[in-house]
Amino acid sequence: MEPTKVLVLDERRDAPPELLTALDKLGTVVHVRTPGDVLAKEVGQLPDTDVLLAYAGLSPHTVRAVARRLDDEDQRPTVVAFAEHDLHLLGSHVHAGSDYLVPPFHPDLVRARLRDCHERATFSRTMEDVAAHAELLSYERELEIGREIQMGFLPDSLPSPDGWEIDVRFRPARTVAGDFYDVFELVNRRRLALVVADVCDKGVGAALFMALIRSLLRHTAEQSGLQSLIAADLLGEETDWEEHSRAIPVVGATPLLNAVVGTNNYLTRNHIRQGYFATMFFGVLDPVTGNLVYINGGHNPPVLVRADGGDPVLLEPTGPAVGVIPDVAFSLGYAQISPGDTLFIYTDGVTEARSVPGHFFGEDQMIKQLGEGAARGEELLDHMDGALSEFVGPAEQSDDITMMAVHWRDPEA
Amino acid sequence: MAFDVRLRVNERVATIELKGELDAGTAARFHETVDEAAATGAIELVIRAEQLSYLASAGLRALVFARQKMGDDVRIAVVGATEPVARTIKLAGFDHSIDLVDA
Repeated sequence: MEPTKVLVLDERRDAPPELLTALDKLGTVVHVRTPGDVLAKEVGQLPDTDVLLAYAGLSPHTVRAVARRLDDEDQRPTVVAFAEHDLHLLGSHVHAGSDYLVPPFHPDLVRARLRDCHERATFSRTMEDVAAHAELLSYERELEIGREIQMGFLPDSLPSPDGWEIDVRFRPARTVAGDFYDVFELVNRRRLALVVADVCDKGVGAALFMALIRSLLRHTAEQSGLQSLIAADLLGEETDWEEHSRAIPVVGATPLLNAVVGTNNYLTRNHIRQGYFATMFFGVLDPVTGNLVYINGGHNPPVLVRADGGDPVLLEPTGPAVGVIPDVAFSLGYAQISPGDTLFIYTDGVTEARSVPGHFFGEDQMIKQLGEGAARGEELLDHMDGALSEFVGPAEQSDDITMMAVHWRDPEA
Repeated sequence: MAFDVRLRVNERVATIELKGELDAGTAARFHETVDEAAATGAIELVIRAEQLSYLASAGLRALVFARQKMGDDVRIAVVGATEPVARTIKLAGFDHSIDLVDA
C-alpha cells in the first residue's frame, strides 16, 4: 500500500512534536506548510495530499480556501483539524464539516483516527457524487419533458389540399428549439396558413417564446372572421396595405394582419424587457388559384422556384422582426404560385450552416441547390438535406434548421 | 478571429469596438460592455463593426438590449459593418432604430 500523504497546515509552519513523531512512525509522507505557502503556489506545484491536517487555530474559512485550492488540482483531501491544548478551537471546524484529531498523539490512536476520518470522507464524497448525478439526471429529464411539450406546439400532421404537397424538415440544434413552423386551414378551409419562424437566441428562453408566439399567431388568425376590421384599426392611416385593400380586397389578409400585428403589439407591450423577438414568414395561400398573400417580418426571404426554369423569386421582408418595434406597420406581399412551382421557406440555420473551416453555406449556394433539386417538394428537401450534410461534414450543427417546401403538382406533368 | 470587445469613452461618446463573432456564446460580454457604456451617461453609442465577422440572432438580441439600455434619446450607430453583418441588421428591420454608417 502506498504511504499516506499528509499536509500539515499551520501558521507558524510547526506542529506538535508528538504528532510529527507519530506520523513518522506510521510511515506517512509529511509536508508542513502555511496557508500562504499553499495559496501562492502555481498549479501543479503542491505536494500530493491525501489528508489535510489543519491546526485549529486557523479560521475554518482559511482551511476551506486551502482545501478548495487542492480540489482545483483534483486532490480532494480529507480535511482534519487538530489541536493540542486549545480543544475549544475545534468546535468551529467541526461545524464547518471537518473531522478532528486530539491528543494523545499515540501512533496507533492517530492511525485509527486517520483511517476513520478517511472512510467518513470517502463515504460523504460518494454521497455528494450520487446527489450531484441525481440532480443532473433530473435536469436532463426536465429538459426532455420540455422537448416533448414543445413538440406539442408543432402541428401533428400537415393539411394537404387537392393537388398540393407540403413537406417539412425540422432539426433543432439542441434539445429545445427556437425555430417553429405551422400549417393550418383558415376561412372555412378556403385558405391555408403557412408559417416558418425563428425566435432569436437559443435554449430554453427561445423555446418558451416559441410556444407563446406560435400560440398567439395561430389563435389570432383562427379567431379572425372574414369581416373583421380590427386589422384596419390597428394599422395607421397611410399604410401600403390600406391603399392596396381599397383596390383589391384579399380574402385571408385580415387574419394574417391581425395575427402578425396583434402578436407584435402583445410582445412589445408585455415582453419588451426580455428582448426576445421572432423573424417570421406568414403566408396565406389560396389552393385553388395559387395566390399567396404574405407578411415577411424580418425573415430570410423564401424562394419561389419556378417550374418553367425562370429565375427564382425572393419574397423579401415586408416589415421588421416581430416583437421589437411597438406599433410598427407591416405591409402585405403578393406572389403567384403556378402549377409545378415550389415555394421554399426556411430559417437561417440553412444559410448559416457552417463547414469545418467555419464557412457559411450562404444564400447563393442555397439558391443554386434549389435550382438543381428535383421539382417535387419531398425530393427538393432531400436534395437540400444532402447538400447541407455534405457541406457541413463532421462540424457540429450550431443552429436550428427548418425547411418547408410547398409544391403545387402540375396536372400536365 | 477570437471575439473581443473594447470600450472607450470620449466627450460623452461611448465607442465599443467589436471583433470576431457576436453570437449566443459571446453576447453576454457585449451586454456587460453596454452596461458600462450606459453607466458613463454617454449621449451617443458608436459600435465599430469593421472587424465583426458574424452577427447571429443572439447578437441581434444584444442590439435590442443595447437600444433599451441606452434609452431612446441616445443615438446608436453601427459603423463600418461588413456586408453580411449589415444585411442581417437590415433584414430584421433594425436599421430603423440603429443607424448603419459606412466607415
